[in-house]
Amino acid sequence: MSRSQNDSADPRMIFEADDVAVHFGGVKAVDGLTFGLPEGKIIGILGPNGSGKSTLVGAITRHVPLTRGTLKFLGKDYAGDEPHLVPHRGIARTFQTVRLLEERNVLENVLLGTDSLTAGGRAARRLGQERAEQAMARTGCDHLAKVRPDELSYGNRRRVEIARAIAMEPKLLLLDEPTAGMGRAEKEEISTLMLSLRAEGLTQLIVEHDVQMMVDTCDSLLAMNFGKLIVEGEPREVVRNPAVQEAYLGKQAVKHA
Amino acid sequence: MMAWYTANAVVVQATMTTLLLALSIQLPLRVGVFSFAGVGCFGIGGYTAAILYTKFDVDTWPAVALGTLLAGGLCYLLGLIIHKLSGLYLGMATIAFSLIVAVAATNGGSLTGGASGIFGALGGITNLHVLLLLALVVAGLAISEYGRFGRMIDTVREDPELAAALGINVGRYRKLTFLASGLIGGLAGAVTTLLRSTITPAEVNFHMVVVALTVIIIGGSSSWLGALIGAIVITWLPTVLSFVADWESIIYGFLVALAAIFLPGGVLGLAKDLIHRWRARRRPTPPAPPASEAEKIPGGEPSSPATERSLASTQGGTS
Repeated sequence: MSRSQNDSADPRMIFEADDVAVHFGGVKAVDGLTFGLPEGKIIGILGPNGSGKSTLVGAITRHVPLTRGTLKFLGKDYAGDEPHLVPHRGIARTFQTVRLLEERNVLENVLLGTDSLTAGGRAARRLGQERAEQAMARTGCDHLAKVRPDELSYGNRRRVEIARAIAMEPKLLLLDEPTAGMGRAEKEEISTLMLSLRAEGLTQLIVEHDVQMMVDTCDSLLAMNFGKLIVEGEPREVVRNPAVQEAYLGKQAVKHA
Repeated sequence: MMAWYTANAVVVQATMTTLLLALSIQLPLRVGVFSFAGVGCFGIGGYTAAILYTKFDVDTWPAVALGTLLAGGLCYLLGLIIHKLSGLYLGMATIAFSLIVAVAATNGGSLTGGASGIFGALGGITNLHVLLLLALVVAGLAISEYGRFGRMIDTVREDPELAAALGINVGRYRKLTFLASGLIGGLAGAVTTLLRSTITPAEVNFHMVVVALTVIIIGGSSSWLGALIGAIVITWLPTVLSFVADWESIIYGFLVALAAIFLPGGVLGLAKDLIHRWRARRRPTPPAPPASEAEKIPGGEPSSPATERSLASTQGGTS
């Protein structure tokens, strides 16, 4: 795996969404989003509850049917893909609520990240094992390999899920609220991990409510409200933007501030 | 040993054929497909083998093979149509499939022998043959329970959306499950029929669904081993306790209710749980990160603090 870090002013877009819309009946959960993800960067999506963030993640992984628009990954339109083909293209995700197999131990849960992406056979099994062990070491759950998820703390369950996604060795990693319910120290660990993955050139899209963490970790932010993109750009500027503050805090609060 | 076997050959045989039928229902349940089509396939396999054997002079094994393949093929077609249904709706559709087979058998005229079925289809099958076929089926199922294959099947059952997000083709798994279930059910029907020389529409009805479910619920649905335990309990109980035969329905109902309430994983689930707890007790909890861990990780720095090490260890490592 050789990911080259691209620090030029206009890096290649690894992912592009053009006029993407997801409507559920009359509800416009995502309504005409156009944006790109520059390779090797961490991009955050900010927005109040119900602004369409998770629906967008579901649309990118093709779990949610598109009403209109195109999705391109590495220059190829994949909007017609069935969901199970998306990981084979190099897109991995974690979920808002941690989803693990409770009857299987941590190692096996992480191995699941490699199972369908590697061919069968002894060499592939050894490779998968190596990838899983490495992913567990990076997320700090390697000492829990033989433990079942139902015996883990919430933070550790999150780690196992992130380890599983890393074991998939994706080119784009989607993290849906990876630090929800974590303490400050744990959040910083996740932040450190994301930065170390970025150093290897892994592009990451993160949905998160912790504004401070987003500002500290992300290269740029997309702010959403009512399914639309309201502001896009450098994290500090996006957070200071009146439209973003209004979406988060409400009109009155901004006026009195 | 030999004397025991001679005395109990019929019960041993019944245990094996019951197990085959139960496996054809257990496999789809394990993949998360709520299908009872295995019972209909038992009928298709049984009738096909019996008709070929008695009316077309086909030998035992070709008749068994054709019955098995026809059942597998029809079940696969059924799967293509209904694999997107889930839960109760899928269950109802597959029970309807089984009942349609019974209705077709009842109204099949001289070909199926109507309500009285087909007699005189005594093929050249011995208990050893059944044992070998059973071993073959169990070997295939055992492979599907271990390693990566087992993990992926568990994920397809527990969380299809997660399975897809991990790159697993859930639809294909579900469709192939119908094929495998049909083949096993068809084999069970063909072998049972040519062993007992007879098959009637009454054998393809709801009662068979109940027997198969009883076996699975008592033994455990997670592995073929559970079905084996269930099959042994169900077939041997009436011979060990003679009064059971008279009260069969009530006692089986009672057992299923007890198992469902107190043993959700069946006898096998209970055993696995006890083993897990025993192992957990021997392991110090919570396990602390071993200090020497860093040496195992390429690029790790043994001197750095635990968390920093674990998160950043492979940075610059050979990944």
